[in-house]
Amino acid sequence: MKIRNWLAAILLVSAPALAQTLPAPSDEAALYANAKTEGGTVVWYLNQPLEPLRLVANDFERQYPGIHVELQRAIGMQLFQKFTRESDAKQFIADVVQISDPVLMKNLAEGNYLAHWKVPTYDRIPASYKIGDQAMTIIVTDMAILYNPNKVTPEEVAILQADWRGILDPRFKGRFAVANTKCGICYVGISFFLDPAFKDKFGPSFLEKVAQQKPAIYADSVVAIDRVVAGEQDFLFYFTEGPGVTKYNQGAPMRWIEPSPRPAYANAIQGVSSTAPHPNGARLFQNWINSDAGAKSLQQSYGVRTSLAGVPDDRAVAKLPWAPHPQDYEVDFVRWEKEYDSAQDLWIKLLKQYR
Amino acid sequence: MRERLIWLVVAAMVLILAVLPLAISLDSAFRAETRFGLADRHSLDAFLDVFTGEEYLDALWQTILISTAVTVLCLVFGVIAAVLIARTDLPGKSALDLMVVMPMFLSPFTGLISWVALGSAKTGFLNNGLHALLAPLGIDLPPLMDVWTYGGTIWVMFLFFMPFVYLFTLGSLRSMDGALEEAARSVGASPIGALIRVTLPLCLPSILASGLVVFALTAETYTIPGEIGNYAGFTVLSWQIFLDATGANVHQAHAASAALMLVLVVVAALILQRRITRKSSRYVTVSGKGFSGRRLELGSWRWAAFGLVVLYIMFATVLPFAALLLSSFLRNSTAVVTMDMLTTEHYRQFFSNQDSYKALTNTLFLAVGSAAICVAAGFVISIADLRYSSFATRMVAMLSAIPVAVPGLVYGIGILWLSLKSPLYGTVWVLLGAYIAKFVPFGVMMSRGGLQQIHSDLDGSARMSGASPIQAMWYVTLPLMRMTLISSAFCIMLLCIKELSASAMLYTARSEVLSVLTWHYMDSGNTQFAAVVGVIQTVMMLGIVIGLRAAFGVKLERTMGRGGA
Repeated sequence: MKIRNWLAAILLVSAPALAQTLPAPSDEAALYANAKTEGGTVVWYLNQPLEPLRLVANDFERQYPGIHVELQRAIGMQLFQKFTRESDAKQFIADVVQISDPVLMKNLAEGNYLAHWKVPTYDRIPASYKIGDQAMTIIVTDMAILYNPNKVTPEEVAILQADWRGILDPRFKGRFAVANTKCGICYVGISFFLDPAFKDKFGPSFLEKVAQQKPAIYADSVVAIDRVVAGEQDFLFYFTEGPGVTKYNQGAPMRWIEPSPRPAYANAIQGVSSTAPHPNGARLFQNWINSDAGAKSLQQSYGVRTSLAGVPDDRAVAKLPWAPHPQDYEVDFVRWEKEYDSAQDLWIKLLKQYR
Repeated sequence: MRERLIWLVVAAMVLILAVLPLAISLDSAFRAETRFGLADRHSLDAFLDVFTGEEYLDALWQTILISTAVTVLCLVFGVIAAVLIARTDLPGKSALDLMVVMPMFLSPFTGLISWVALGSAKTGFLNNGLHALLAPLGIDLPPLMDVWTYGGTIWVMFLFFMPFVYLFTLGSLRSMDGALEEAARSVGASPIGALIRVTLPLCLPSILASGLVVFALTAETYTIPGEIGNYAGFTVLSWQIFLDATGANVHQAHAASAALMLVLVVVAALILQRRITRKSSRYVTVSGKGFSGRRLELGSWRWAAFGLVVLYIMFATVLPFAALLLSSFLRNSTAVVTMDMLTTEHYRQFFSNQDSYKALTNTLFLAVGSAAICVAAGFVISIADLRYSSFATRMVAMLSAIPVAVPGLVYGIGILWLSLKSPLYGTVWVLLGAYIAKFVPFGVMMSRGGLQQIHSDLDGSARMSGASPIQAMWYVTLPLMRMTLISSAFCIMLLCIKELSASAMLYTARSEVLSVLTWHYMDSGNTQFAAVVGVIQTVMMLGIVIGLRAAFGVKLERTMGRGGA
């Protein structure tokens, strides 16, 4: 805490100086020129799957030749821990940090680990996708059941699509995968199912019944997706739609189901480190990923929906006849934070109990 | 004076790298935890929680069970393979000798990727291949194997750790005087009886030493039992340490306490091994003349024994590498491979990606740098210990051996916390430090072995003729040890290329290595890209082994066996 306070004090004192040395958010040319002189590198700590995000970074590099993005992937809490540990020890490595948990990002913002930086498209980003001007995202995380169409029949797809409770159909017993890791994406479903508004439909008893369906339990959902693609498991209950789209675009046997309502929220929120070793490059990248070009890249290379106003959903997959178009469910982040540990511990305990 | 200075520098390096991280790691076990790390004040909470908590004691029990099972399997099959190759008329022995040790040149984690492709219940190539063969005959068998099980974990680790037992036992069998075995046979003992009652007891120290190495390797490996265990429903201590040190929520003091528990397990195994060996040493006689006894004739069992060894080679080398290679060319994971599923895209992406190049160059730099330093330090420590023996030189030699009993993960944690506030953090130099700490014992052991074969009279003569100790070492000892040192250097290079336990704790964006890259891609759900990195890593290691054999005639696997690598 002491070091963090010192850092905050130093930043406060040096803020005017920094403001003088950094170009205005809209001065792209100056940011780009400065980014090249400070080493031409941006270190991106991220939680989303490595492969599609590498493609997104490639799109950025193509637009800004001479700037290279280094990717470091880990799941949310690991990344949070690594980033804060390094920052507290004055090891300034990360330029841009993206974590799959809005509450952890809020902690980083409140702890002054993240710089204030109002991207030029700030006003076009929905309020629930921003933490002040310190962190934001345009990636919409859509919760989905990812399935292998060679293993799940159209009739079964219809059962799962009709209602989240379709998972409890006896025919699905032992046929699907779940993850028992604690992370933002892993938590969204649990939080949704435990929403008091749905206590008659879902609640703890629903989670218990899902565990009684004897799912295969993986340490990481992305590993589970690979197993679904291979045909080892028929579907994954649940994950975000994006990695499924990536696999689909690569020609893998992969589709997704999104019963209504479906949590759609700001998950991969990212901010510029307040001690970024490449401050101009970091800001250039943050501007770009929240821009029209970034939104298009995220849609095409990663396959995710974006929330930037004025950018239509141009993804080919969104226009497929079987693509789901459910009603969005808004995540309650106050309850999210309050129940983060207890809800996930309950899920892990239930999975262990009925293994 | 100059030689004393050199020794002092090396001694200081050993103390800093081998002892300090361990001390820091253990000190952390007795600190209070905050939500995101360690507090300044000391506390017994984490220590008590780990040493009395059901969760950790269960993980400890699983670690002991799995490590014991893997060790027993490796001992049984490793000794059988060594006896078959060293003492019988098995056909094709020289080719088999090399092939049996090939798994040492594959990373166990790469082996896991291969076995996920080969041995998954519904989609494994082996299960599907067998099904395709038998289905036309109307036979519908359940899956032959499932790697995602407790047994699967033991199976994968057994395949990749067995060569250690094989090499230790083989070395012992080959250097043994056959007179006792001949004597037993002359008084009526059957060939097998002489082997069991005379020869194998003579090899007991080597066999148990290899057992200890396998036990320690199994106990410290967290990737294989971690990935599979989560699915199969068990947790080992090494995986729990990894989760506590890096996961949600972070419990650094718990990680350090569990690491201490792991060290105690390995030390207990070391004490057990020493105790048994001490008793057996009463009747061990190894003359160093080499074995001259009669070969055991296998008769009608000859081809069955050949089949057994070939089966091991198939499961441990041929099939895993084939599966790895195939996976690297597949568009996505699949149970059935067709031509339209093959692509070179992953290789194109690997070679067009700056991060991959960085990981490749970091790996090469660390392999060469660590090997050079470990061999030099090992040489200086050994020569001081054997030629200028004193309490201080013996202490340094002993301290340099500590890392053998300490899992790489524990060093990783210690060096992480040691380096965090230094300007070296995040650079490859931190990894270099970890690799030196972990592999310097191998440099010492291999140098020591070579040095013991050179009589001290040789450099003593040089000294009497007026040469300084450094001149005697430079002009006499070093040239005589040239091949030993070259072999040691390349062995350590191989170990560095495979290293994952410490690297996964210490890497940053600037210091990623190939083994960590493989882990990341696997953990990111891209098995095919992980397989590409695994293929490149394996080709590098095989290149070193084959290149060295062709250039210098050095059989690297023998050196690794001597060093316990």
